[in-house]
Amino acid sequence: MARRLASAIGFVLVLSALVLGAPSAESQEPSRLRIAIKGYENNITPFTITFGALPATNDVVHLVYDSLFWSQVRAEPEPWLAESAEPNADNTQWTVRLREGVIWHDGTPFTAEDVKFSFEYYLLQEGASGRYAHHVSDVPVFTSAEVVDPLTVRLVFGSPAPQFEIMPGADLPILPKHIWETVTDPKTFTAQPPVGTGPYKVVEMVTDQRYGLEANDDYFLGRPLVDELELVVIPDPSAAFAALQTGDVDMVERIVPPELVDQFEGSAEVAIAEGTRLESTQLYFNARKAPLDDPDLRKAISMGIDLDALVETVLLGNGRPGRDSFVHPDSPWAIPDGGHEFDPDGARALLDQAGYDQEGADGLRLAPDGTSLEFSVLVSSFEPLDIRGVQLMAEQLSSIGVRLNVEPLEPVALRQRRQAPPGEIPAYDLYVSGLEAHAHVDPDSLYYFFHSPGDKGFGASITGFTNAEFDALAEAAAVAEADERLELFADMQQILADEAPVIVMWYPDGLYGYRPSAYDGWITDPGQGIFTVRSFLADYAATGGEGDEAGAGDTEGQRAGADADEGDDAGSGSTFALVIAAAAVAAVAAVIVVRRRRALEDLEE
Amino acid sequence: MARHAARTVAQYALVLFAAITVNFLLPRLAPGDAVDYLLPPEQVGTISADQRAQLLGQFGLDKPATTQFVDYLAGIATGDLLVSVRYGRPVREVLAERVGWTALLVGGSVVLSTVIGAWLGFRSAWSRGTVRDTGTLSGVMVLDSIPPFFLGIVLLVVFSVNLDWFPAFGALPTVDASGLALVTEVLQRLTLPLVTLTASSVGPMYLVARSALVGELQEDYVLMAEAKGLRPSRVRHHAQRNALLPVSTVSLIGLGTLVGGATVVETVFSYPGLGRLIYESVLARDYPVLQGAFLLLIVGVILANLVNDLLYPLLDPRVRRAPRARS
Repeated sequence: MARRLASAIGFVLVLSALVLGAPSAESQEPSRLRIAIKGYENNITPFTITFGALPATNDVVHLVYDSLFWSQVRAEPEPWLAESAEPNADNTQWTVRLREGVIWHDGTPFTAEDVKFSFEYYLLQEGASGRYAHHVSDVPVFTSAEVVDPLTVRLVFGSPAPQFEIMPGADLPILPKHIWETVTDPKTFTAQPPVGTGPYKVVEMVTDQRYGLEANDDYFLGRPLVDELELVVIPDPSAAFAALQTGDVDMVERIVPPELVDQFEGSAEVAIAEGTRLESTQLYFNARKAPLDDPDLRKAISMGIDLDALVETVLLGNGRPGRDSFVHPDSPWAIPDGGHEFDPDGARALLDQAGYDQEGADGLRLAPDGTSLEFSVLVSSFEPLDIRGVQLMAEQLSSIGVRLNVEPLEPVALRQRRQAPPGEIPAYDLYVSGLEAHAHVDPDSLYYFFHSPGDKGFGASITGFTNAEFDALAEAAAVAEADERLELFADMQQILADEAPVIVMWYPDGLYGYRPSAYDGWITDPGQGIFTVRSFLADYAATGGEGDEAGAGDTEGQRAGADADEGDDAGSGSTFALVIAAAAVAAVAAVIVVRRRRALEDLEE
Repeated sequence: MARHAARTVAQYALVLFAAITVNFLLPRLAPGDAVDYLLPPEQVGTISADQRAQLLGQFGLDKPATTQFVDYLAGIATGDLLVSVRYGRPVREVLAERVGWTALLVGGSVVLSTVIGAWLGFRSAWSRGTVRDTGTLSGVMVLDSIPPFFLGIVLLVVFSVNLDWFPAFGALPTVDASGLALVTEVLQRLTLPLVTLTASSVGPMYLVARSALVGELQEDYVLMAEAKGLRPSRVRHHAQRNALLPVSTVSLIGLGTLVGGATVVETVFSYPGLGRLIYESVLARDYPVLQGAFLLLIVGVILANLVNDLLYPLLDPRVRRAPRARS
């Protein structure tokens, strides 16, 4: 008995030592911020990133590296590493004047040689350049670069590049020549920390766990406001938001799930800021496979879908319904009247008129060749919201005689299904995929995605949509000047609305949770969310000096909690109830079992 | 005795070879490859065969399958486990970083669940039929039915968010620490995942221990011992010694399966162990890492079984007799 008591006391002592023995988190000076990201990005170079932290990958890269201009979501990006860029008459040559006094993280001065080298290297290592490859190899095609003087470089392109300042100017990270010129296998160059010109230097990397970043004193736009950034990898969303609530992290680089929005809004310690990225989730048709190659069928299916209901039910209102014209409503190219047409009666009429009026045995309409209008939709099994969205659409479409079957697949398997041997059409019907800002602001994205399959662009791998008029407009827009381009884009969006190769489901609202007590300088950089370079720079951040552009320093989207005294106990009530309920169930079960055994024993006697 | 040991080792070597071969083949059966994972989704289907070969070539994955298999076997012999496609670093390094954490978490969990399960199981068996027995049985069954993921989240919410007793993620302290402070913080961060994993694996251990002891207590020698007038605790001691045999077997076997079960716990608590590495590598079709990690697991499981096989005669005198009895 005494022994038991002693061991019990010992156990309690050990437990309390563990609980109380933690060193207190001290961060008086230097100022430190801890941010939770979704995945590890190796050593954060353009060739070794894994996109595990999507959609924040781009922002993480641009904490370390800079591009010539910033940012890609603006029609007129700011000069960044470049001071100015002058085109020649037909926009095939751009003479870029670079900023003076910029230094790489290892102290080497930044010169025009680095810019020339970067463009050449991305082209040389095209396979490994990943998402940056098409900036130098496709639209536009980079041919050569010439160093005019240490701060001036002339870039020559094989075709006119009127939007150079946006693409590749505001997207391509500039690499240090003295580091990369000896690297032949960029994908295995993962041992060293990256060297860039950006506001933060990487000083610590622990695989799959965290990064330690230090402010760059010599940054050309001034020393960042936060001295140390710690990016911790938390793959599970519940754990990430739990860490936010306890103060273990100060901001989570994930959209707050619809279910948690109310809880955070009522909390005193956690605030929510609006930082909508130009993201979208859409349903693509395999427009080369009959009968989905018929624009009337696709349009009718689009008309049978109620996107408002989708946003209400699946996103709980935290988003905007998709537009038939595809482009994000906040994008500089979006046409004002490109909304969604929901008209089930019209859909039925269109189907009748287009030859789909026969009904099969299972109640579904038949195509002219006799097959039922039954299609399978490939969705990523990691996206529960997408799956729910498709299920809801399937319900809606049953009323017009079309059936959708949801097929969740893990990401690589899904990509595999989208491919086909050369010369053949892939076998899938539809698939769901998300797009990040790049697709909605890149002036060439409409070309990439919807130009008929050919040498340029990704058309073959997205939908295989073919429309000669669209092709002509897209080719003209690739080389047109700004005003003419806007008109051409408007016409192109109209064709997309009429022929529906893609149905955009929604544009999610970017609601991000953070702790104002740790840092309150987050700004809504339009299209970039709040986790972006400008949030840390004095000229733009909310707590720094005044922003000098419309949109910078904009904090009106913040929704801080109104009730200050509730704290975060709003959520704990339900969890405690759950625990007590579980204990009660266990107790009841135990009682039932005991009584049964007593009854059995009585019988035996 | 030596002949028996040699034959056992030979049998295991054969099993090892078969397992290694399957280990090579299985990941390659899944659709897609590493390039499909590494490319951004828009570029799916637009990369040329040459570019694909160039990318895979950096990791030795562009050669025909038979060549890769031979390289793989040679690599095992020399300890060269290729380079990870996702990390761009030698697989050996990647595994070395994670093995320690898995050993801590899974090893600790196996030890704890065996000790706790056996202790509870023996107690239950000794007092079988009473309220204490049924109560413990029900409680353990309820615990076993709760999915580890759910249990982990509940513990996280209760002990980390609401009570703020433990940190919510990670294995290492986020502030630089050394010495005793480092050890304390590591243990702190280990507590919740360890409790979750142990709670999820106590069930089978408890049941095995309980039924083993119940079985032993019905043996003749127990009746004899009681008749001789031995103290109940003495009788119990003898019976438990014999009941430990199945417990030790199940425990060692469980060591292999537990690493897979840790995947979920590691994800919830952001714990950098092997389970999560394997899961993410499957998603990324990172064959080199999968080959290396599975090799590690296979060797571990086979070693555990081998140890158990060789240990059994030492624990159980009845098995020490002529090997001819075992065929």
